[in-house]
Amino acid sequence: MIRVLQQRAEQKIMGFQSPANDYLEGRLNIADILVIDPHCTYYFQMDSAAMKNYGIRSGDILVIDKSLTPIDGTIVVAFIHGCYYCRVYELQGNKPALVGEEDRIETTDGEVLQIWGVVTSICRNMLPAPLRKGKYKRVCTL
Amino acid sequence: MFALCDCNNFYASAERLFRPELCGVPVVVLSNNDGCVIARSEEAKLCGIKMGDPEFLVRDQIKKYDIKVFSSNYVLYGDMSERVMENLSRWFPRLDVYSIDEAFGRLDGVQDLHNYIPKVRASVVQNTGIPVSIGVGPTKTLAKLANKIAKKNGGTYILDTPDSITKAVNSFPIDDLWGIGRQYLKKINDLKLDIKTVGQLRELPEMWFKKNMTVQGQRMWNELWGRPAINIEDQLDSKKAITVSRSFRNYITEPDMLSEAVTTYASRLAEKLRREGLRCTYLQVFMYTNEHREDHPQHFPTQTVKMAMATNTTHDLVKTATVIARKLFKQGMKYRKAGVIAKVLMPESELQLNMFNHHDEGKLDKISAVLDHVNLAYGRGTVRMASEGYKKAWRLKHEWLSKGYTTRWHDIIKAK
Repeated sequence: MIRVLQQRAEQKIMGFQSPANDYLEGRLNIADILVIDPHCTYYFQMDSAAMKNYGIRSGDILVIDKSLTPIDGTIVVAFIHGCYYCRVYELQGNKPALVGEEDRIETTDGEVLQIWGVVTSICRNMLPAPLRKGKYKRVCTL
Repeated sequence: MFALCDCNNFYASAERLFRPELCGVPVVVLSNNDGCVIARSEEAKLCGIKMGDPEFLVRDQIKKYDIKVFSSNYVLYGDMSERVMENLSRWFPRLDVYSIDEAFGRLDGVQDLHNYIPKVRASVVQNTGIPVSIGVGPTKTLAKLANKIAKKNGGTYILDTPDSITKAVNSFPIDDLWGIGRQYLKKINDLKLDIKTVGQLRELPEMWFKKNMTVQGQRMWNELWGRPAINIEDQLDSKKAITVSRSFRNYITEPDMLSEAVTTYASRLAEKLRREGLRCTYLQVFMYTNEHREDHPQHFPTQTVKMAMATNTTHDLVKTATVIARKLFKQGMKYRKAGVIAKVLMPESELQLNMFNHHDEGKLDKISAVLDHVNLAYGRGTVRMASEGYKKAWRLKHEWLSKGYTTRWHDIIKAK
């Protein structure tokens, strides 16, 4: 869950004011790197192994930016044949295609390939199962 | 110059964005409690579905044309609205959000509108996936009029010369004009002036507007001649009251259940007040039976009480609201709707202390702040008043509710 809790517990200063108080910068927030433009960003989840050799596994959270227009080789989420697919967008000639590890989805005549957005990054839980408990259950898992 | 930016069939478009298979399919969205049609895709309009049609009356059409029905998902619409408004605001020196799906943008200092406006539109449509139309004019009324034309004209329309304005108003029917309601329409028709277009209407003298349509009409007349007279910013700034009211799924006939519902509305109200940084001085509670059922006994009680001190804590508002609700409740009545209204609002900073009350709100304020904080992080309703109840059998009917695609991790879309 990427949500910022801005308010910290109130700390009463008992002794001396910390000299660091004049140099506050705010702690790093991973969302700054993963999300380019929050108002154009959506999250989907990968639900197949079709992109394994491109580094996306089933269960990964896909960070999708809708403001980008894909070029050849971009990983996108697209809608075709009644389904959402996460694949590599291939544009050779005029005919776009979606390419995965073992498949290639092309449009037939009269069909439109609807690009929903561009995948800019992914999030994955790396914890082994025994450690996924308590508050750690929530790390990049749904 | 002003631009009026408006999302086309907003609720239907928002639903369709996440269900691309519904492109080209007629879609309608129903009001709270799945009552009436409040949004229609273009295809649904062609099927003859009207705005405000009750769901049970159009069931045959829905079946016949295979219309896709949605319950209103305000969580989704609220988020999509924020995205659209944020994207729009990047293009205007100032943007005044007028409703969930429309906003007025200032265009002071912007050159070459005919180039700029289509660019704005293309960018917003690409970034949000929601189709928008933009109308531009020297006044808000004319921008709104241009927007209606834009909807049938590729999404943008610009009225920037006297000629273009004259041309537009001369073919624009008066019943579509912003500010002309049913009453004024009737009045104009009753006077038998044979006025059909806005062009004809604005030829009437200023005094006619002032006499027949009050100062508002006078403003409209000025706006139609390109002189800005309507100030929406002022209207938006002064919030006079905040209401939370809902219809129930089934009739409520038990005081306990009514109390549960009113608790929920009151805590929602308190949340809204805190978000706006306001406290209320008066709290009104009301409930309705179903006036359309002549066989039911009718009861429309309402009561307003003055709070001991202006407040926005959940505790105070819930306590007061439930006491009133229980007092108003009459055995044997079938209530179909209830609500709470906060009145005479003042900023949190201007708290007036009452000499008979020692100010112990500090503690309750703190509890409320913690409540908001936890609910913001973990989702609304995570921590709530026990009197809200658990089952909430009275809660709204929303049989065709879509998911919280952009607000709940559990609801995000899966891709193959």
